[in-house]
Amino acid sequence: MTCEEVWRDISDYVDDELDPKQRTALEEHFAICRQCAAVLEGTCNVIRLYRDERVLAPPRGFHDRLHARLNQRLKHGPEEQIRPSRRAVLAWALTAAAAVPLGFALFSAKRIILPRPEHQNPSSSSDSPAVTGLVAVSQDADDKVYHVAGCSHLQGKPKFLPVEEAIREGYTSCVYCIGKARPKQKS
Amino acid sequence: MPVSATTNCAENETRNDRIRANEEVLISRIQEGEKDLFLELIRPYQRTVYATVISMLRSKEDAEDVTQDVLLKALARLRQFRRESAFGTWLIQIAINEARMRKRKLRHGIMFSLTKGADDDGAYVPKDFADWREIPSEALERSEIRKALAKALALLEEHYRLAFILRDVNELSITETANILGITRGAVKTRLRRARLMLRDILSPGLQQGGEVGLAFKEVRKPWE
Repeated sequence: MTCEEVWRDISDYVDDELDPKQRTALEEHFAICRQCAAVLEGTCNVIRLYRDERVLAPPRGFHDRLHARLNQRLKHGPEEQIRPSRRAVLAWALTAAAAVPLGFALFSAKRIILPRPEHQNPSSSSDSPAVTGLVAVSQDADDKVYHVAGCSHLQGKPKFLPVEEAIREGYTSCVYCIGKARPKQKS
Repeated sequence: MPVSATTNCAENETRNDRIRANEEVLISRIQEGEKDLFLELIRPYQRTVYATVISMLRSKEDAEDVTQDVLLKALARLRQFRRESAFGTWLIQIAINEARMRKRKLRHGIMFSLTKGADDDGAYVPKDFADWREIPSEALERSEIRKALAKALALLEEHYRLAFILRDVNELSITETANILGITRGAVKTRLRRARLMLRDILSPGLQQGGEVGLAFKEVRKPWE
């Protein structure tokens, strides 16, 4: 029997998977071949080492953690509803930890990059009057236009009334005097 | 002397039959509502499930999480256990499925392997012919030896690693190993042969030097060269 043949069958020999004739042939070879005997001894040693309970054993505290989780499951039903796994808890904690500074950074960036919105002047709105207080309307003309006092475009005898009332009565603002009174919009 | 030959087969079978009968009783009682007995049922399998899972995942934390998930799933599905296989075999099947799912989720399926590209059917040539002193059991008290063994195992390709774990660590039969992996007995034997000889070659140089495991294929002069 050659060494190559022995190496091919050595694993089956260890597993006791050879017929008696093959087995005897291998044992006769091991008796005379120191190198193949060393391969056999090493192979058996590898198996013995890995079979030991201390190798590939669960980490310290594993049994306690497992039993706690199982006990919880046994007492309270489906465990997933009670306590997420260690990995899930860690993932949530990391996400939360990352979200806080990220949120702060976004808030700060927004304040720096984007201009703060101006407080809108009520008078700049097209729906609100450009002037406050009393305005002048013509008692003679039918143009239904209201003016600031002294407007050169006011024709006839003036009548003074609150601007809100003028608007309610259907008057529109004079494009010359009220337009000048309208405050400049900031760009 | 061969590992299997050191144990008396008849005695071993009797012991396994006794364990299996005891498990049958426990499983029946749990299925009838005595769920507290589940801890007793799984006690002998915690290490085998963990060893199977850690051989497929690199992280201890993932392996612990998956092992716990496997045992919780086993509790939830115990009613579906049809006793077509041993309870331990059923557990290991769940463990392999769970570990594969976790691997997909983590997307770290790439394991560095010294054996990549090795041909399943090709003959494996041992690389180190140094005599092995038997490693004393006390050596395993040293964490560096245990780490070296774990690291050496991680160097194998997964299909060799799994066959070795199922057969040599979990002590399943070749037929059970073949059934779990969905391959023939012949394929299991081939994988086992290569896994055992490769592990021996990876570990040989260091373990012969008082446990300073080098974990590399040692270039040695082959006797036929």
